[in-house]
Amino acid sequence: MSKVETILSQLKDIAANPKKAMDDFKAETGKGAVGIMPIYSPEEMVHAAGYLPMGIWGAQGKTISKARTYLPAFACSIMQQVMELQCEGAYDDLAAVVFSVPCDTLKCLSQKWKGTSPVIVFTHPQNRGLEAANQFLVTEYELVKKQLEAYLDVKITNAALERSIAIYNENRAVMREFVKVAADYPQVIDAVSRHAVFKARQFMLKEKHTALVKELIEEVKAMPVQPWDGKKVVVTGILLEPNELLDIFNEFKLAIVDDDLAQESRQIRVDVLDGEEGPLYRMAKAWQQMYGCSVATDTKKGRGKMLINKTIQTGADAVIVAMMKFCDPEEWDYPVMYREFEEKGIKNLMIEVDQEVSSFEQVKTRLQSFVEML
Amino acid sequence: MYTLGIDVGSASSKAVILKDGKDIVAAEVVQIGTGSTGPQRALEKVIETSGLKKEDISYTVATGYGRFAFKDADKQVSEISCHAKGIYFLVPTARTIIDIGGQDAKAIRLDNNGGIKQFFMNDKCAAGTGRFLEVMARVLETTLDKMAELDEQATDTAPISSTCTVFAESEVISQLSNGESRNNIIKGVHLSVASRACGLAYRGGLEKDVVMTGGVAQNAGVVRAVAGVLKTDVIVAPNPQTTGALGAALFAYEAAQKN
Repeated sequence: MSKVETILSQLKDIAANPKKAMDDFKAETGKGAVGIMPIYSPEEMVHAAGYLPMGIWGAQGKTISKARTYLPAFACSIMQQVMELQCEGAYDDLAAVVFSVPCDTLKCLSQKWKGTSPVIVFTHPQNRGLEAANQFLVTEYELVKKQLEAYLDVKITNAALERSIAIYNENRAVMREFVKVAADYPQVIDAVSRHAVFKARQFMLKEKHTALVKELIEEVKAMPVQPWDGKKVVVTGILLEPNELLDIFNEFKLAIVDDDLAQESRQIRVDVLDGEEGPLYRMAKAWQQMYGCSVATDTKKGRGKMLINKTIQTGADAVIVAMMKFCDPEEWDYPVMYREFEEKGIKNLMIEVDQEVSSFEQVKTRLQSFVEML
Repeated sequence: MYTLGIDVGSASSKAVILKDGKDIVAAEVVQIGTGSTGPQRALEKVIETSGLKKEDISYTVATGYGRFAFKDADKQVSEISCHAKGIYFLVPTARTIIDIGGQDAKAIRLDNNGGIKQFFMNDKCAAGTGRFLEVMARVLETTLDKMAELDEQATDTAPISSTCTVFAESEVISQLSNGESRNNIIKGVHLSVASRACGLAYRGGLEKDVVMTGGVAQNAGVVRAVAGVLKTDVIVAPNPQTTGALGAALFAYEAAQKN
């Protein structure tokens, strides 16, 4: 097995076995893990406390039954999965769960957590242009920090936070580099592997993830760039799972050359900048810098333009919108983006993403037709 | 040169043999689809009707839901591409295609050269598809082929939800319990199917001529309802069930020429 294959295999294992990743971390450090609900959280705080932040983004292909007690069938697919796993006690080993509430479903779910772990809920200000919004979010983060310190019995110092911020910034920078490398080497980093590199990031200390991804990038870049005889696409949406769906991308030679997925590149888009202000203030300010996301208010609706630019810059053939089933914020963005794509002549396709689904024939037809159309 | 297109659908199997990419030699439909003997029977029937032998066929393209399961094909092409190809061949003025099949519905936008500009498919739900009509026909104690005629005798349109087949079935039963006329309910069912399909067509932007294809296009009640919702004339493709197979045969001809 080559070095690249070894690293990818390691990251795929972590992405597929989060419980093992958490248990290994506990055995190694004696400390626990804290759940991080979608979409944006001050993860650096958990890291600074010495705990492992664990992303909670549902599960692949799990049948929903218990969650039906609490959620209507038309609640978003990730939350259905999260509720099902909560009911089964899957998250009860977590020392706490940090919960942002940028959409109605998250807000409601935060109020009826069925697991035994304590839940720390905070709110992002949506009027993001005001200085008062920064101050509001600092106060929210102070409350998150206070509760984390209480539940974890750890003092989160500014020095530890600064160190964690630096580690996270480095990881985000390395992942942005990875996105470019994956675009250049689709024969080496296919859609499933690309996703695994992002997904493993949710279940590892970022410094360890950074080290592995750096090594991966170095190994891949040492190879000659080969011409790609398939098509290139930019994908957008909340997430693009399960792997069976990504296998179809591979089957039809659709290389993902950039993404705007909430689970992937939106997590690495914005850094916490250096400055004279304290760490919490700078972390709060990062939220104001966030752009192109359906849950972050943007009166100018710049997401479509951002995707058009990404398509042009990467030389992509098209944009694929991975529409999370029953996700209101994403559905609201779609007609605006669609009109802009059409006006600019950007080929585009919408596919539906449902984590529960186990049959992929319909999406296969859509993707095959799309490839034939390009 | 003879080429074959076979459309292995969810509810039926269709086959077309084409001569030199322009003359339809034979077209057959077997009302049973993928996972059954339907595809093989459609193949045998179309060969028999054409008077040809299997070895006379230069190239075969399979399309439809079961296209990858049909092992005798040289190539598989998606049904969206095949319907677009077949319709443009039959109706070159077509710019919007509404295809309602057994288990899905699609709206396809064509450019002036017959290329696909955009397409939308229904979500994973039977509402607005042929299966929906089958379920409703059973509840209403009629058959698919009689629904258009009964629709024509309706004096009003009973409202039927277009959200979900199961909900709609309950609504139909409620309407029947309340004494609503069967014909009015059938007209409501057709409007429900049309609303779903037209929602897809609106999403991609509507452009004339609008052509309906797929098995459901044989139901004049649904066609009238679609025309009413879209407020435009709707052309029904000749032999609407076989346009996908025709498109596949055209693709087969193109591929054979390249070989």
